[in-house]
Order: sequence, then C-alpha cells, then structure tokens
Amino acid sequence: MNILLVEDDRDVGDFICSELVSAGHSCVRKLNGEDGLREALCSAFDVLVIDRMLPVMDGITLIKTLRNGGSRTPILVLSALGEVDDRVRGLHSGADDYLVKPFSMAELLARLEVLHRRASIPVTGATTSLLVEGMQMDLLSQRVTRQGVTISLQPREYKLLEYLMRHAGQVVTRAMLLEHVWGYHFDPQTNVIDVHVSRLRQKIDKDFEPALLVTVRGAGYRLGPEAQ
Amino acid sequence: MKARKVLSSITFRTIARYVVVLSATVFLLLAALYGYFTYTYFSDMSDSIVDELDTLELIYRGQSLPGVEQYIDDQRSDHAVDRYYYLVMDAQGAKVAGDLPSTSRYSEFSGGWLGFQMDLLELGASVDADFLARPVVFDDGYKAIVARNYADAVEKTGLVFRTLIRAMIATLLLGLIGGYFSASATLDRVERLKSELSTVIRGGPGQRLYVGKELGSVRELAVLMNDILNQMESLMQGVRRVSDNIAHDLRTPLTRMRNHLSVLRSGLDHSSGEEVENIIEECDDLLASFNALLRISALEAGSALSGGSKIELSTLLCDVVELYEPVAEEKGVKLLFETSQLQYCTGEVDLLFQMFANLVDNAVKYTPVNGVVEVRLQLRPPQGTAAGVNSIIIADSGPGIGLADRKNVFRRFFRVESSRGEQPGHGLGLSLVQAIVLYHRGSIELGNNNPGLQVRVKLPLATS
Repeated sequence: MNILLVEDDRDVGDFICSELVSAGHSCVRKLNGEDGLREALCSAFDVLVIDRMLPVMDGITLIKTLRNGGSRTPILVLSALGEVDDRVRGLHSGADDYLVKPFSMAELLARLEVLHRRASIPVTGATTSLLVEGMQMDLLSQRVTRQGVTISLQPREYKLLEYLMRHAGQVVTRAMLLEHVWGYHFDPQTNVIDVHVSRLRQKIDKDFEPALLVTVRGAGYRLGPEAQ
Repeated sequence: MKARKVLSSITFRTIARYVVVLSATVFLLLAALYGYFTYTYFSDMSDSIVDELDTLELIYRGQSLPGVEQYIDDQRSDHAVDRYYYLVMDAQGAKVAGDLPSTSRYSEFSGGWLGFQMDLLELGASVDADFLARPVVFDDGYKAIVARNYADAVEKTGLVFRTLIRAMIATLLLGLIGGYFSASATLDRVERLKSELSTVIRGGPGQRLYVGKELGSVRELAVLMNDILNQMESLMQGVRRVSDNIAHDLRTPLTRMRNHLSVLRSGLDHSSGEEVENIIEECDDLLASFNALLRISALEAGSALSGGSKIELSTLLCDVVELYEPVAEEKGVKLLFETSQLQYCTGEVDLLFQMFANLVDNAVKYTPVNGVVEVRLQLRPPQGTAAGVNSIIIADSGPGIGLADRKNVFRRFFRVESSRGEQPGHGLGLSLVQAIVLYHRGSIELGNNNPGLQVRVKLPLATS
C-alpha cells in the first residue's frame, strides 16, 4: 500500500511511518495540512492517514477540499479528541474511518487494509454470494454452507460471519466488529466479542478442517489464511 | 416558630438591649433635670414669699394695719393667676385681713415654713391646692402669713412626668417592634443565604449565590462565599486536571511502549513471545482505564447534551441484551429483557449503548450461576407538573451493594471491597455510567433487589 501520512507530531509520525514500512507498505509523511494537500493532489496514494489537528490547514478542511476536488482515495482520520461528536464530524467531512489516539498499530493496520481493499475491489453490482475456503454464504437466502454442509446461524452470528467473510484474509479488530456488526462505537469492558466469536467458531470450525477463524493476539481475528 | 427564631436572633437581642439601656439613661437624665427644676422652683418661691413678707412688714411699720389691708385688697383685685395669699391675725388668732381662713391646718416644715392644703375657689371651680406659707410676727402681736399656691406647678410637673413615662414606654415598645422587624428582615436574608447555600451543596460546586439584590455586609458575605466556592471549584478542577493530565501524558508514551513491544514480539520465540503478549495486554488495560478516565472528565467538563438524535430505547436495549446474552449464557445466568412499547429519548447512541453495556456487564459479572439479570424498560407518562420519563431498570440477583457503598460506587476508581481482586475492572465503569446519565440530563439510583442490585436509570423523553 502506498500511504500518505499527514501528522504534525514528529515522534508519532516517525513511529507510524516506520511501522507501516516494516509491515511492507510505503509511507510519505507531511507535517502540515497544506503540504499534505499538495502531496495528495500531486501523487496517487492508496490510503490517506490524516491527523485532525494540523498546523496551517486542519485535517477536516483538508479532507473537505480533497473530496470537493473529486478525490475518492480512502481516508482515515486520526484524532486526539475522542468525543462522539468529533467522530461524527470527522466522518461527515468525507473521511472513511476514524481512529482515536492513542491507538495500537495493529488497529491502524487492520483498518487501513480494510479501507484499501474496499477501494481497490471494484463494485461489481450486487454480490450474491461470498466464498472463503470452501465456505459459502448466499446473501439472498442467507444460507451458509461449508463443504456442502448447511450451518445454521443466529441472525447476529450471520452478520458477524458476513463481515468476516467480506474481509477474509484480513485482520479484523474487536472495535471494527462492534462498529460494523453491532453498529455501535463503544468500548466493551470485557471480552463480550470474544464470546460471540467463539460461538461462531463452534459452528463453522468444530466439525471441519482446517480451522478458518483465527485469533490474532493483540489485534483481533482473521478468517481464512492471511491475504497476500 | 418564626417569631421565636426572630426573638432569639442576635440582631433582635442587640436592638432590645440597646433600647432598654437607652430608655434607662434617658429616664435618669430627665429625673435629674426634674429634681433640679423642682429645687430651683421651690427656692424661688420661698425667696419670693420672704420678700413679700418683708414688704408687708415695711407697710405695716409705715402705715399700720389699714395700710396692710389696703395692700392686700389691691393684690387680690389684681387677678393674677399666680399670686400671693395672705392672712393677718391679731394676737388672739382672730383674722383681721387676707383671704386665707384662719382655721387651716398647717404642717410645719423646717426653718419656719408651713405647708397646708385648702380648697381654693378659683374661677368658680373648686381646686384642691397645695400651699407653701411663712408666718411673720409684727411688733405688737399681729401675725401675718403669706402663702403661695404651688399646685399648678405640681400638676405641671406631674403632667411632664406622666408624659415622660408614656414616651418611654412608647420608645421601648416601638424600639422592640422595630427591632423585631429589622431582626426578622436580617434573619430573612440570612435564611435566604442559607437556602442558597444548601442548593449549592446539592447542585454541585458549579453553583453560586445570587448577589444581585443584596446590599452592604450581606452582599459582602455572599461575595465572600462565592469566592470560597470559586476557590473550592478551582481546587477540585485542579485535582481533576492533574489526574487527567497524568492520564493524558502517560497515554502517548504508553502507546509507544506498547507498539515497541509488539514490534519486539514478532522477533521472539514462542515462550518469550507469550511473556511480551502479557505485557502488551497489561498496557492495553492501562490505556483502557486512562481512556475511560479522560472520557469521564470530558463528559463532566462539557455542558449537558445539546443536539443529539432521537433514539429508540427498546431497540438499543435489545441490542445490549443481545450482545451480552452469550456471556450470560456461558456463565449460567439468565438474561431477560422486558419492554412493552417503543420509547424515545434524545441523546448520543454510542454513549447510551456504552452506559447500558456497562450496567449489563456489571450485572452479569456479579450474578452467580443460575442467577437472573432482568432489564426492564418502562414509560412514566407525565403526571401533573412532573415530566414524563423513560425508566430503565437493570436488576440482578448478585450480592448487591451495601447502603454505605452506594454513594461511593460512582466515584472514580472506587471498588467495593469484596469485589477487589475477585473481579477484573478499574472501578471506572459506574463513574462513566453516571457521567453519561448526567450528560443526558437523566438520573441514576441504586436500590435493593432482594437479593441483588437494582439500578434505575431515568432518561427524559424525547421532546417531539
């Protein structure tokens, strides 16, 4: 992935950049909003990571300017502010995702992968079925089969599996699951998500080989082998 | 009740004491004046009588008895109000001239002075009058008495005296009544300050006394109290800010450390990797509690919710219950949800979800195997002046929270002693719950579920 990072904190920026590079991505770094805008307009990037509070031009204005100019590059906003209000405003300005500082690198990487994949796979009309390693999900009849055997799922388990299958091979964090499967952005105090995932795992992996739903420690979950 | 309060107030007692002392002083002063005037009046009177006697004696020596008779007649026809009365007797005591009866009974004073009482016919009315008289004996046995009536003066002084007493009683009464009213006015102001202070205590450190109408020292007092409140508030904010700053400043290096650890982990073998994983988890725990702390502060520092969206609570609660169902089931706890209708409130959906999730999480966490957690959504329609309210009850069959701890559980980092070490947590869950409830202008109460804990959350109904 070719990533543009606009972040004025040198320490944080350095760290993110080096982490992105060590994860196999390339990273261009700008220190203020104006430079960031110029860079984003001049070169093509797969994903933009933009800090909300930037000198010269703030992150939200930068995103609005880009979107008004017709850019459709996925954007992830970083913010030190964690208020719900900020998140909503960030997303309204045209950003695709929002992450509150401090975040774990795993969370950022997982989210960037998802953003990138979503943008790079062309929307081919309505997808009617998902297929991952012999497991098939029919989106119309809402039926799931693995190696020809029907698996019966609760509605929430179905949604969970659908999200995992749509992001097969990618790391999906607990926060991402909460946001997209449950539709709420909050911070569970306990391992609620893990219980849901382990129930799903019981249904889709117990009687089959190989195990598809993998726990990635320190990050989240992944369905199917790691995507290359 | 109020009268007793006023009478025992310091203002009234001071005023009463002042009025009494003032009256007593005035009385003493006037009494002294009275004494002085009486003394000079009588000494003037006796001097004039002595002079008159001298005159009579002179006339007698010059013109003998007829001259004296003539003189007395002249004096009587004068009709002066304050005149002399005369009696001239021969050696046998028979009256020769004058207008005093010879039979009057005299009481004798020292120094040859006589006093007597007599009915005096004056302008046709009979007046009981007091006289001061002095006799003189002429050379040939004739005796003359000259008297003056002092009843007038006595009456006048009596009048003055009575007026004085009345005035003094009036002064005392008026002073006390005035004192009562001014004491009650002062008391009212103090009462007002008192009631305002108790609202300050109830309403939190952000409240201030209203100084607008007050004047003088009460105003100064109110301003002073406000200063104290300001100081208190800034101290409280200072303490909070320090903890926030610590959380805030530690967050970044901690994240950095966590990230370095995750880099380190990738290059390690399995067993060392496990160790590092555990450290990373510890870091995540710490970060989570720092984040929670900052979130609580942000919610408390900000003003209450403005805007927000209309949220259907039964759907929201259903989602919360559904999220925790597997956890409850795994623990062998029954999680029930009861609702009868769609109910709306205004707010921020993620915050409300967080709040109910924390409450249900706690309930499930503290309920023993085979226990029950009930979530009930009810509607309290508006009654009279009371606005309608969404009532959400989360009841469990766990150990509950003792009365003594109920107030404290909302404090940051507070954990009920018995749960320390037994259950994971930072003691911030309920603080966050309370902050979110207050942010939504709601209220939260803890009650007994016999057995267990019953949490009652009230949220205002959506307006429109």
